[in-house]
Amino acid sequence: MAERSIDDWFMQDVLPLEPMLTRFLQRNWRNEAEISDLRQEAYARVYEAASRALPLQTKPFLFQTARNLMIDRLRKQNVVSLETMAEFDWLNVSDDKPSSEAHVAARQELRLLQAALDDLPPRCRQIVVLRKVEGLSQKEVARKMGVAVDTVENQVAKGMRLLAQAMSGRRGAVTSEAKRYNFFRKPRHVR
Amino acid sequence: MMAAAWLAREDRDLTPAEAVALQQWLAASTLNRVAYLRLKASWQRADRLSALKNPISSAAEPSDFLADFLAGLLARPRLIAAIAASLLLLAAGAGGWRLWRGPSEQVFATAVGKMQAVRLADGSRMELNTNTRVRTDVTAARRIVTLDSGEAYFDVVHDAARPFVVYAGNRRITDLGTKFSVFRNGDDVRVTVQEGRVKVDVLDRPAVNAPVVAEAGHTVMAKGSETLVFSKPDTDIDNGLAWRSGMLVFNQQTLADAAEQFNRYNSRKIIVEGKARRIRIGGSFKADNVEVFVLLLHRGFGLSVDNQGTRIVVSR
Repeated sequence: MAERSIDDWFMQDVLPLEPMLTRFLQRNWRNEAEISDLRQEAYARVYEAASRALPLQTKPFLFQTARNLMIDRLRKQNVVSLETMAEFDWLNVSDDKPSSEAHVAARQELRLLQAALDDLPPRCRQIVVLRKVEGLSQKEVARKMGVAVDTVENQVAKGMRLLAQAMSGRRGAVTSEAKRYNFFRKPRHVR
Repeated sequence: MMAAAWLAREDRDLTPAEAVALQQWLAASTLNRVAYLRLKASWQRADRLSALKNPISSAAEPSDFLADFLAGLLARPRLIAAIAASLLLLAAGAGGWRLWRGPSEQVFATAVGKMQAVRLADGSRMELNTNTRVRTDVTAARRIVTLDSGEAYFDVVHDAARPFVVYAGNRRITDLGTKFSVFRNGDDVRVTVQEGRVKVDVLDRPAVNAPVVAEAGHTVMAKGSETLVFSKPDTDIDNGLAWRSGMLVFNQQTLADAAEQFNRYNSRKIIVEGKARRIRIGGSFKADNVEVFVLLLHRGFGLSVDNQGTRIVVSR
C-alpha cells in the first residue's frame, strides 16, 4: 500500500488544500504577515509526520497540525490565556467543502491561472507565457527575446513565486473573472 | 526565495553537480523541501496554461459566452444600469449588498456582524466593518468616499493628481499615501493611520480650525470642532485594526469598553452593570462569539451572567 511517495502525497493531497488552509490561518491569526510562514511550518510538520506514517485522513490532520502550531506560537508569545484559544473556529473545519475546493474544475482552474498570469509584471508575464503557453524552453525564450538565459531563469523564478502566491488565496472564478475582463479599467479618454 | 531559484534552475537544466547540490539542499531541511514541492506543484499546474495557445477553441463554450455577456454589460453601466444593478445585487452574495445609483456613485453596506472587502475602480482597497454604510464616487477625475456610518479601512493607491478623500461627519480625511481606517458614530470621528500620512480638516469652520496631518502610528479623535491627535504603540494600532480579520483585541480595556465593542457586531447586546464595568481585561476574541466571551467572564472573574434573550446582563 505504501507505494506512493511522500512527495506525491504532499503534492496531490496536501497542497490542493492550500486556499482553505490559508483562510483558516487568516481567520485565526491576526498578523497577516506571518500567515505564509505559519503555512510553511505546518507543511513541514505534516511532511515530517508523514515520513513516519501517512495519515489516514489528510485534511483533518493538516488542520489539526496548523491549529497545534498556532497554539505553540501563542504559548511562546505568552499573550493569550489558554482559555481564549477556545475561540478558534477550528471545530468548523469540516464545514469547508473539500469537493468544491480541492478539485477545482479544469475550466475554473484555467481561469484562476489566467488571472494570476495577468497579474504578473509585464516582463515576467511575457517570459512565463513563452515558457508555459508557447512551451518554449528557457534557452529558446532567451533567444527569442534577445536576453541572457540567466535573465530568463530569474524571471521564471519570480513567476513561480508570484503564481504560487496568487493561487494560494484564490477561492473561485468569480473574483478572477472581474480581473480577467479588466472590469475596473479606467474609462477611455474622451475628448 | 531559494526554492524558486532552485526550481527555475531545474526548469532550465541541471548539471550533474547541481543535481547533487539540489538533493543536499532538499535534505537539509523539511522547510526547504515543502517550499520546493509547493512551487513545483503550482508550476506544474501552470502547464494548463498551454490551453490558451489556441484562443478560438475556448471562446465558443457557453460559460465563456455568459462571462463575455456579463463583462459586456458591466462595461456599459450607463446603458444598462438597471440590469447591471440587479445582476450585481444577485452576485453580491452574503457578505453585504450594493446598489448602483448612477454612473459613478456606488453604495456599500454591511449588516451587523458582517464585513465586506471592496476593490475600488482605482485599485485602492476598502474593507467595511460591521454595520457600516459607505458611498463611493471614484472616476478618472475624482476619488470621493463618504462614510455615512460605521467603520472602514482604506489601503489607498496614491495619486497626487486625484487625491483620495473620505468624508465622515464634518471631517474630511485626505490621503497622503497611506493605509488608514475611519470610524464614525454620529459626529464622533476617529481616524487610525497604519502607514503613510493623512490630512484631517474640519468642513464647516475651515477658517478657525487648521488642518491636522497625522502620520503612521497616530490616531485622530474628532468631535464637533475639537480634534485630538495622539500617538499609539504599533501593537495598539494593530489591535484596533484586528476587526479586519474578525477579531477584537483588548489590552487592559475596561469591561464596559469591551462590551461596547462586542455590541457593535452582535444584535444580542452585552450589558455590564455596577463595579464589573471597571474590570480590566486582555485577550483576543472572535467578534461574533459572544457566548464564549461571557462564559470566560463567568469562569475567569466569577461574574454572574444572566442571559435574557436579546440581552446578556453581566454583573458582580
